[in-house]
Amino acid sequence: MGAEQEQEQHEQDDDTMNRGYNLNDNVDILAEILTRLDGRSLGVAACVCRLWSTVCNRDSVWETLCDRHVVGGAGDSGTRSVVAALGGYRRLYRLCLGPALDRLTCSGDPADPDKQGWAHLSLSLSLSLFSIDCYERLEGKQRPASLLFLCKPVNVA
Amino acid sequence: MGPYGSDSTTVSSTACSGPEIDAILTGTGYGLSTSGPCHVANPDYSIPFNPSDVTTWVDSMLTDFNSTSTGNLHLQPIPATWTDQICSPLNPTDSSPSHALIAQQRKEEEDSGIRLVHLLMTCADAVQHGSTGLAAGMVDEMRVLLSRVNTLSGIGKVAGYFADALFRRLYTTETPLSVTDHEVLYHHFYEACPYLKFAHFTANQAILEAFEGYDRVHVIDFSLMQGLQWPALIQALALRPGGPPFLRITGIGPPSPDGRDALREVGFKLAELARSVRVRFAFRGVAANRLDDVKPWMLQATHGEAIAVNSVLQLHRLLTDPGTTPAPVDSVLEWIVGIRPKVVTVVEQEADHNKPTFIDRFTEALFYYSTMFDSLEGSRPHHQRQMALAEVYLQKEICNIVCCEGENRVERHEPLTQWRTRLTNAGLNPVHLGSGAFRQASMLLTLFSDEGYCVEEVDGCLTLGWHNRALISASAWRVPDADVSPDDDSSVIASNSNNCINSNNISGSDDNNRISM
Repeated sequence: MGAEQEQEQHEQDDDTMNRGYNLNDNVDILAEILTRLDGRSLGVAACVCRLWSTVCNRDSVWETLCDRHVVGGAGDSGTRSVVAALGGYRRLYRLCLGPALDRLTCSGDPADPDKQGWAHLSLSLSLSLFSIDCYERLEGKQRPASLLFLCKPVNVA
Repeated sequence: MGPYGSDSTTVSSTACSGPEIDAILTGTGYGLSTSGPCHVANPDYSIPFNPSDVTTWVDSMLTDFNSTSTGNLHLQPIPATWTDQICSPLNPTDSSPSHALIAQQRKEEEDSGIRLVHLLMTCADAVQHGSTGLAAGMVDEMRVLLSRVNTLSGIGKVAGYFADALFRRLYTTETPLSVTDHEVLYHHFYEACPYLKFAHFTANQAILEAFEGYDRVHVIDFSLMQGLQWPALIQALALRPGGPPFLRITGIGPPSPDGRDALREVGFKLAELARSVRVRFAFRGVAANRLDDVKPWMLQATHGEAIAVNSVLQLHRLLTDPGTTPAPVDSVLEWIVGIRPKVVTVVEQEADHNKPTFIDRFTEALFYYSTMFDSLEGSRPHHQRQMALAEVYLQKEICNIVCCEGENRVERHEPLTQWRTRLTNAGLNPVHLGSGAFRQASMLLTLFSDEGYCVEEVDGCLTLGWHNRALISASAWRVPDADVSPDDDSSVIASNSNNCINSNNISGSDDNNRISM
């Protein structure tokens, strides 16, 4: 009896030592890694488990992603508070930057191969479009349509 | 007003906006099928399906490619392939058309299109000379031709609208749109194509540059509509280095017919947005049916604030037949100069629809709106309903240009060169729209799904066009020596005018939300 318990204890100790480093125990490092993903992958990562979903829903992760794709004035606290008031970086990316970047990479500039297909959008333009969408939502519209032009056209043929 | 836009698979789900759309379309005459003279061959030639039920029409276009014609139809719905389309009128059972047949069909369509345009011109000429009998005969002939041409796109569609407008000129009187209908159509036009967005963003850029360094700023909007231009400006001011100024917006618009104060509602929304981004904000609504009813004292321009006057597609309504002076626009320009704004942003259609002779106007309008409709189709807006309503918006303009005369004709578009002369004569100096505005406009256009749009810079003004034909222009102007403090007469209280002026104040700030009347 005692020998079996010792055996189990040994196996457990071995497991702990051999299991190695668990990313889920270090949420900040997880967040740091996730900030390097692109939008789609971040969305996929959010479906992995509850912890990852929580981390992926942090606005700071999306803020880093947005900052990578905009030119002009990103990253200061003034911008941050305005974006937060308009709905947050995650929504900015989902509604505005994401579709716009898809659109720009589709009609992409082949003269910029080192950008790896990542296009840049001006911060002022994206925030302008975002603010119009936010304004339409104020009326309680379920599906404001002002940003629909960014989505890829549906082929109904 | 129901929610705009819905999934492409659930077009008929927003039933609450259906009756409104029916009302709009009935108002524009599409529901009429029994009015008109008895020799009219087929009353609802212009749209193949029951025109007062847009949702069913849209559904059938999207899903039902193989339906047989019903009732008054003389056009098949859009078939799945182009070859089917051109072959079905001739030989519906033939499933393997030959190339010769296709080529012949194509040539016939082209010929019909050319014949239609020729007929339109001749008919307009007849109308100008007063030979209504001849014109009526030609309208009938056009109807017959239209039944053989595809009126769902291209020249057939535009010709259909113009033929319809000629018909209205001959037989009916054109009723103006109600205010709410006009707003709905405007909103759909805003969403369907980039012209209005381009206008708003360019004007905002000019206003932003003019407001640099001022702590109190005042924007006077000549047509508020739903205030879609201002969220972007509010946001840009919030992010201004040095902090946002105190922003006042005065929105001018027609009084709402049903008692609700539409201007005030828009003001509330703008105030809420401004509050969320911490911009001190105040709104004032001025209800007036015509811009020349507005007097400067109603705007309450005060000392020390930077004023911007914004006119999007409004100044042309104040013009009259060329040669008849004085035009109302001159008095409006006079008081604009009088309040000494830092910038006046003017957006107008780039077209010459105010020529004295009817045939000249008609020809110009035909080419202008052909290009416009071309661009609408090219940009493939998301929802068929959105495109249909955007087209109704344009159709109202066409009818006004073709059918109305004298005071009723408000769509008196003039080209940028003529506006330049007019504004310079009124005492305004042009402001060169910077490269920032150009870059922003170009970037905005890359986001639209089609590549036919082109932004050009013409002497410091920006124009947006389709395939090298400019369709809308945006320019900025200022008063010379505008840094001198404003005159005192702008705040003199004059006697109240009875032209249904009603104004209210809404102000919001971080600390309190006072609403004062």
